[in-house]
Amino acid sequence: MGQKSGDPKSGDMVQGTLEMLILKTLALEPMHGYGVALRIEQVSQGVFRVNPGSLLPALARMERSGRVKSEWRATENNRRAKYYMLTAAGRRALRDETDSWGRQTAAIARILET
Amino acid sequence: MGWFGNLFAGVRTLFGGNRVEREMDAELSAFLEASAEDKRRAGMPPEQAARAARVEMGSANAVKHRIRSAGWESALEELAQDLRYSLRMLAASPGFTLVAILSLALGIGANTAIFSLMDAVMLRSLPVDEPGKIVLFGDGKAAGSTDSLPSESSTLFSYPFYRDFSQKNQVFSGVTAIDSIEFGTHGALGDGKQEMLHASLVSGSYFSVLGITPDRGRMINEADDQAPGNGTVAVVSYAWWQSHGNDPAIVGKTVRIEGTDYTIVGVAPRGFFGVTVGESPDFWIPLSMEKEISPGWNGLQKKWFQSLYLIGRLKPGVTVEQASANTNLNFKQYIRSEYLGPSPSQKDLADVDHAHIDLTSASRGLSRLRREFSLPLQILTTIAGLVLLIACANLANLLLARGTARSREFGLRMAIGATRSRIIRQLLTESFLLALAGSVIGVAGAWNASHALLTMASSSPQVAAMKVSPDLPVLGFTLALTIFTALLFGVAPAIRATRLDLNSSLKQGRTATVPFSRFSLARGLIVSQIALSLVLLAGASLFLRSLVNLTSIDTGFDKQNVLTFSLDEYSANLPLDARLVTLQKQIEARVQALPGVHAASFSMFTFNQGVWSDDLTVQGVPRTPENSNNVFYNVVGNGFFSSMSLPIVAGRGFDERDTIDSHPVAIINQTMANLFFPNSSPIGHHFGMGDDLSHSGDIEIVGVARNAKYVALDEDPVAAAYFPYSQRVQYFGNFLVRYSGDAGQIVPAVRRAIAEVNPNVLVSSVSTLNEQVEESTANQRLIARLSAFFGLLAAFLVCIGIYGLLSYAVARRTSEIGVRMALGARRSSVLWLILREILVLVVVGVMIGAPIALAGNRLVVKLLYGLSPADPLSLAAAIGLLSVIALFAGYLPARRASLVEPTVALRCE
Repeated sequence: MGQKSGDPKSGDMVQGTLEMLILKTLALEPMHGYGVALRIEQVSQGVFRVNPGSLLPALARMERSGRVKSEWRATENNRRAKYYMLTAAGRRALRDETDSWGRQTAAIARILET
Repeated sequence: MGWFGNLFAGVRTLFGGNRVEREMDAELSAFLEASAEDKRRAGMPPEQAARAARVEMGSANAVKHRIRSAGWESALEELAQDLRYSLRMLAASPGFTLVAILSLALGIGANTAIFSLMDAVMLRSLPVDEPGKIVLFGDGKAAGSTDSLPSESSTLFSYPFYRDFSQKNQVFSGVTAIDSIEFGTHGALGDGKQEMLHASLVSGSYFSVLGITPDRGRMINEADDQAPGNGTVAVVSYAWWQSHGNDPAIVGKTVRIEGTDYTIVGVAPRGFFGVTVGESPDFWIPLSMEKEISPGWNGLQKKWFQSLYLIGRLKPGVTVEQASANTNLNFKQYIRSEYLGPSPSQKDLADVDHAHIDLTSASRGLSRLRREFSLPLQILTTIAGLVLLIACANLANLLLARGTARSREFGLRMAIGATRSRIIRQLLTESFLLALAGSVIGVAGAWNASHALLTMASSSPQVAAMKVSPDLPVLGFTLALTIFTALLFGVAPAIRATRLDLNSSLKQGRTATVPFSRFSLARGLIVSQIALSLVLLAGASLFLRSLVNLTSIDTGFDKQNVLTFSLDEYSANLPLDARLVTLQKQIEARVQALPGVHAASFSMFTFNQGVWSDDLTVQGVPRTPENSNNVFYNVVGNGFFSSMSLPIVAGRGFDERDTIDSHPVAIINQTMANLFFPNSSPIGHHFGMGDDLSHSGDIEIVGVARNAKYVALDEDPVAAAYFPYSQRVQYFGNFLVRYSGDAGQIVPAVRRAIAEVNPNVLVSSVSTLNEQVEESTANQRLIARLSAFFGLLAAFLVCIGIYGLLSYAVARRTSEIGVRMALGARRSSVLWLILREILVLVVVGVMIGAPIALAGNRLVVKLLYGLSPADPLSLAAAIGLLSVIALFAGYLPARRASLVEPTVALRCE
């Protein structure tokens, strides 16, 4: 799941976080694949760059498990693209993963501080 | 989407391949375009932007592949691909595939056949209700009848005890009695013709205790087993019913058995064969008819006539310990009050004190077969297991060599993106395909083989009727074995083959730098094959030599040219008096007069048919522990000794002088003569049966016959005595004829002669004395044959293994050999170079295998005759055979190496 980005300067993506990031990104609005990649890169200020080789399989996987659904729509410059949006199950999953992520990072932070 | 959506999407992907593919392509190109546009907007020239976007994405195919693997259906797709590919690869090398499948078929087939035999004989539960709840009184090892005072663990009981115990017992919900002998008799259905029938005599509680419900009609019940002679009903087996026209109106028909009419009241359920594995009675008849079925078996009122097995069903909640305590309490009380007189002797009291009943589980039924077969089956299981291991090692070796040969293929596949695990998976698919094909052929073979094994081990038609073809548990066993096998031979080569350095494997891989470890694994496999086959061959030669020893034992009689007729005199319906003797004398005289017949006689026993034994008291010779052992008795006709060619060494044989009115006489054997009369002639002395001195003058010794074997070839010399049937009237089942010339003409002539004297005397089967002797060693024969077969098979597999390894090694070393020869090495030294390698493997294999063989052989000492398990000759023969085979297998590739032309070899580089 966690894939190295193409840019050697950027950090490794923590295992299992890609799906959470995708969920979070899609929680704002439905987006096509490239849009998701771009948004993650911009918001993380270039730390995470998700290449399509990881992103598209992750989206396919999430679609299979029912966390997102997809739809072909016209893009802003009138091309057709596959738009992904969260389902109810996806929203629940995002909440759960954010919670557990928060607990984990807090725990790690405490360990690192002592 | 839920599981249904997931399923639906998967199926859509599987079957609607094109549409899904188009969608993926569309999404990828949309992504590329968006990415390129973004880059253009950031100021990149269009060409460069498009290229950069493509580089970022990487191989579109790889991405699509990874998208596809998100769903479950991709695993199926990959499996299908692997299967297709594997089939292609296997078809591409038919020789390898054939050898692999055949050796696996033999290995798996042998294991399946032997396991199904084991399942039928040793493991399967009786087809009764809750088999775990039924227990047998005693161990069921004895059969027949005994009249001795219970003084140890008892297993045969009288009918009066059964009745008494059934009433008093508090621990069993029911107890049933079964005659320990299954009776072979004759009968006819309606007006049909007489045929051989097997009848089991059972108490009225039999079917209710076992919990057997009828297929049709009713089963025998308590009312049928009351007054002796009144229970003229019979339950027939399902198989018998099927073989007699499957008559839907069978219930109510009558069967006439030995002059008594029985009404068929029901058909037992399909597959029910009673409680004895290896027997399959046609009829169940109430015990109340004991005397009518067999007149000598008239013991319903006699407490000394102990001939019944008892089986009880534990009450719910009662443990075996509780049941045992209660049973033994009742048993002791019974024998104290019924078997001991008012003033018992000290010895009798002490004997009774030791009398007890061991309750044993009857869930898997009683079986003589199981006791006889248990050791042979264990040996055969071990042998079959070893053969499979050898086949696996062999196959692993072949796969290893193949893996090296295919390293270029694997390198290529990895280079274009296949992962190592995917290649391993595909290689394992090949292994599974091989194992599966092998097991399909193996099971097909085992279907017939297990039955052939059974009939090889026992010629009894009832044993042959047992169901041993592989059933569900057996097929489950085979499936597990197949998977295990495929993993065993497939995993190591697959891991080895994919441990590749891509660069070097892609260059044509015929370099001299073969990793040494790959070779040493192959060598290890060869060594273990040699060691295991040595174990098999050493065992086989031991069994063969033991069999030779056994069959060259002097039986004392001449087993050649003697026909043995099984017949039923009881069916002639004559009483046990002089009239019967007259009939028997007439038959003997009539047959003896036939051309080509030298002698003919009735006899109680011939060879290996059981014993009648008792101790005896000789007049004037005090009883000592040495001479109080049991003596084997036989009752015979006047022509017995000439029929058997058993010479009378002193005194006379039986003749016309010996009649019912003359003084009882006996002929004893040399062992008995030496035991009681070491320094004088026994002729004219007297003895009596049992330990009662007052009877010691009963029987006069008139002759001494040569020693013979009576029950088994390997028995120690045993004292024996013969009595003339003119003085001991009885029905016989054996008729012996010594002949010369063509047995094919003698047999019908004898049958005709007997029918002319009395057409009611039924001759059932004809055998020869030689066959009887051979049958007594059936087990040893079976093991010797099978172990020799499997031993040779193992050696053959080793042959293939060595040939394969060396051919491969020679091919790899062609250039090295070329260099050696160019530098002046002679052909003979090249030959030696290769053969030396084999020798080392053989020596190491023997050094590992020999101690295992010696240790293993010690476990089979019970089956050996006249040999020590460490017999050096057997081991030497096995080592010799194996070395010859190994050198032969190695010679061909070695010769090929020695014929290498240096110029050709060097050009190979």
